[in-house]
Amino acid sequence: MPIPTLANWFARLRSGPSGDRAQLRIGIPRTLAIWSTHQFWLGFFAALGIAPRNLVFSSPTSEAQYHHFGRGRGTVDCCYPVKCMAGHYGELVFGQKRRLDVLFSPMFHSIPSFLDGAVKTSLSCPRVMAAPENIKAGFLKERDVFGERGIRYVSPLLDFGEPALVPGQLHAALAEVIPGLTLAETTRAAAIGWAALQRFDAGLRAESAAVLGACARRDAPCILVLARPYHMDPGIGHEIEGELQAYGYPILWGQYLPIEPALMAWMFGAEMQRGDIASPFDIADVWPSSYSANTNELLWAAKFAARMPWITCVIRLTSYECGMDQPTFSPVQEIVERSGTLFFAFQELDATKAAGSIKIRVETIAHYLEHASGDIIRQKRRLMGAGCPLEDATSQAA
Amino acid sequence: MNVSAFYRAYTQPDFTPHERERVEIRFAGLHWRADRVIQAVFENQGYRAAPMPAATRDDLMAGRELADIGQCCPASFVTGCLANFLRREAARLGADEVKRRYVYVSIGSCGPCRFGQYHQGYELALRHLGMEGMRLLLLDQSRLEQAGGGGLEVNLQLSLGVVWAILCTDALQSLEYRTRPYETTPGATDRAAADGVALLCEAFRQRPRHGGKWSALAWHLTTRHFVRALQLVARRFDEVEVDRLVPKPVVKITGEFYLQTVEGPANYDIHRWLEAEGAEVYPAAIAVWLDYLLRVSIQNLQARVAVDRHARAKLAVAKVLQRLLRWTFERMRRALDGVPHALPEQAELRALAAPYYHHRLAGGEGDMLVGKALWTKRHRAAHMICELSPYSCLPNTMSVGAMAGVLGKHPDLLYAPLEVKGDAEVHALSRCQMILTEAKKRAQEEFDAALARTGLDLAEARRRQAARPALRRATTAIPHRDVVGTGANTVLHLAAGRA
Ligand code: SF4
Ligand code: SF4
Repeated sequence: MPIPTLANWFARLRSGPSGDRAQLRIGIPRTLAIWSTHQFWLGFFAALGIAPRNLVFSSPTSEAQYHHFGRGRGTVDCCYPVKCMAGHYGELVFGQKRRLDVLFSPMFHSIPSFLDGAVKTSLSCPRVMAAPENIKAGFLKERDVFGERGIRYVSPLLDFGEPALVPGQLHAALAEVIPGLTLAETTRAAAIGWAALQRFDAGLRAESAAVLGACARRDAPCILVLARPYHMDPGIGHEIEGELQAYGYPILWGQYLPIEPALMAWMFGAEMQRGDIASPFDIADVWPSSYSANTNELLWAAKFAARMPWITCVIRLTSYECGMDQPTFSPVQEIVERSGTLFFAFQELDATKAAGSIKIRVETIAHYLEHASGDIIRQKRRLMGAGCPLEDATSQAA
Repeated sequence: MNVSAFYRAYTQPDFTPHERERVEIRFAGLHWRADRVIQAVFENQGYRAAPMPAATRDDLMAGRELADIGQCCPASFVTGCLANFLRREAARLGADEVKRRYVYVSIGSCGPCRFGQYHQGYELALRHLGMEGMRLLLLDQSRLEQAGGGGLEVNLQLSLGVVWAILCTDALQSLEYRTRPYETTPGATDRAAADGVALLCEAFRQRPRHGGKWSALAWHLTTRHFVRALQLVARRFDEVEVDRLVPKPVVKITGEFYLQTVEGPANYDIHRWLEAEGAEVYPAAIAVWLDYLLRVSIQNLQARVAVDRHARAKLAVAKVLQRLLRWTFERMRRALDGVPHALPEQAELRALAAPYYHHRLAGGEGDMLVGKALWTKRHRAAHMICELSPYSCLPNTMSVGAMAGVLGKHPDLLYAPLEVKGDAEVHALSRCQMILTEAKKRAQEEFDAALARTGLDLAEARRRQAARPALRRATTAIPHRDVVGTGANTVLHLAAGRA
């Protein structure tokens, strides 16, 4: 069963209370950490009375978007997920039928992670953090494009990984643009946002568990995608996973794997008993410098794949010029391959989709999967032993 | 379950206390002055230690080849430097003996950029070299006490020694760079600097040992031991004769920490190159970085005051530490007769950068890249900024991008961002030269204007300088007025004083 992509979920706006604020139009660039936090923003702004139709996410990334709205506004050459942001800003500023009042582009200092407590920190990549400052410069260097269009640019720095700090930071940034906003109200709205985000994450983890359960009961293979959350953007990840799915293989994303205790005990219990790791979410055995949230989750998901019999293939997606992914290439590949799992990397993803070569590689991967999956499952099942809770039909709805 | 089927990160044997006698600690270097004095700090603590050699272009290539080609260039330089060192030593002594004899110590276990991931590059390189088991100790730059594997005890006495070594050598470096462009006897400054470093090494080797934390801290803060050593250095610099009545552009070095700090092929030897081109270099003091690290802690605590009941107390401690750091540096600076550059106020750097770059954006130099550029302009501290950007750096690309906004508002800022990637030296230096030409022009105009403003001509200025022998001494501080260059400031100073 496929996991719905975040692109679909962006469309699920709830209705919020009406009032003066309902007229306020807020644009959010659909980039970087927004891909893993968007449900928070939907819940939060709806709770503040922003009408759902007035909360505008930019379109998924595309070359046309950059060409029309972002060209000439880049200030530096770097990875595409940051560079393309100029197109998203441009679309929100120049490409709306009805003008926006606010361009809201938070700087995520940290992001919440299910690994918190087991890792050193959950910081964002320095480029994810600072991208808004970088992109903003392209809209201000000659003249204030936001001001000319009557748009308020709001870009708070958020310790998003520490929920207690977030209401104060949001209130300080939004009090001037949302009439009558109080800290108490911001705190309540943030709580609604967190609940929405948690519901969403839990829902996707449950769906992943169901996918894996179905695979386990049929001894059928599935594929795990290891990538940054924004590789779900069709313009950044180029929908490579979709092409593999077309061959009938269910796709899982590393960010949304099941983490219920019984499964964790089965997967990591022996290593915990040996003292190799302190908890199922400890990655010190493979990655001692666990500072970066997305990197940590990537390494953890690789460990998950190595131990999960029905994940017979891992696809790694990496953007061109990604400085964070580079050092993880070898450990991730080794973690996966040492367990006998197939590993294929699509590196250097950039603006243009190399459709031809992707098609050929996808065919090759499908070929390998078809021929090798049975043996891989048998070998990994032997390695891990019996008792996987996923095989128990009653556990699938976890 | 067969657990051995799973990959595990690099593991290494411990460096045990009883090995201290025969193991040599090799630490990743900063600049030669700091390296030599830090070596003395280790020796003072009973360790055998030496800095790594200065990284070269060959090291960069080795780092790319053995680790990964896309890593940021400082990571490639230091990885390759270690790899080539081990190769040479293994050829001489055999791999097993090298692993027994050396322990490598570096800063680099802290996020969020590649800095926190250097271990991976080292590990790959060691694997490719067949040197697994070589001991690497990667320390956290923000902690004064931490585990060093048993054999290396990173305690307050050692850490304070390293910090004080940095403060002393920063002050000396600044004096040296303010002197050399104006020396009347070529080589005199280099000789004085070498003697100065030797004096400091001796002072650090003779540092009394303090077992207790508080006694170590109290002694470092109150002693005149290092001030006296620096005063001896100043007397040595007294012997260097200078003629400051020369219009030279002042070029401030900024950029990523490693590239702005080292002096050698890793940054195209930019300090020496600029001096050879006729500039006075305003080097990047490591103390500014330490001050910044304290600011980062303060900012992080400030963000938590409302939610962490201990934050206020920790904040107060961090603020006191910052004040003590700045006060100590000021003592060192005054011991060198006030000639070295003072530290910029971190609050000012932050405020200047604020419209362009948020103060809590982490990684690399954070908001200091922007802040220093605007500070330089506001304080007329340099005619031009030479900013060293590492190839493939994560945070630097972001702040360089934000600089586009700064330059849009301050088009008169002479700003030369040089991308350092090892194989584009000619291109980078020619770009720098173009901007330096403009800086030279400004320095000359400013010098001429100072003469015109004061009604002096050069001959009269020289006559007045000759009449005041103190002004020919490297250790006489020339007051900084409303002009940038040392030459122009000297003219104004001569005009203000008695004829
Ligand atoms: S993680 Fe990589 S792709 Fe993402 S912003 Fe950072 S450098 Fe760019
Ligand atoms: S600041 Fe840049 S160059 Fe320095 S370690 Fe981090 S990524 Fe590398």
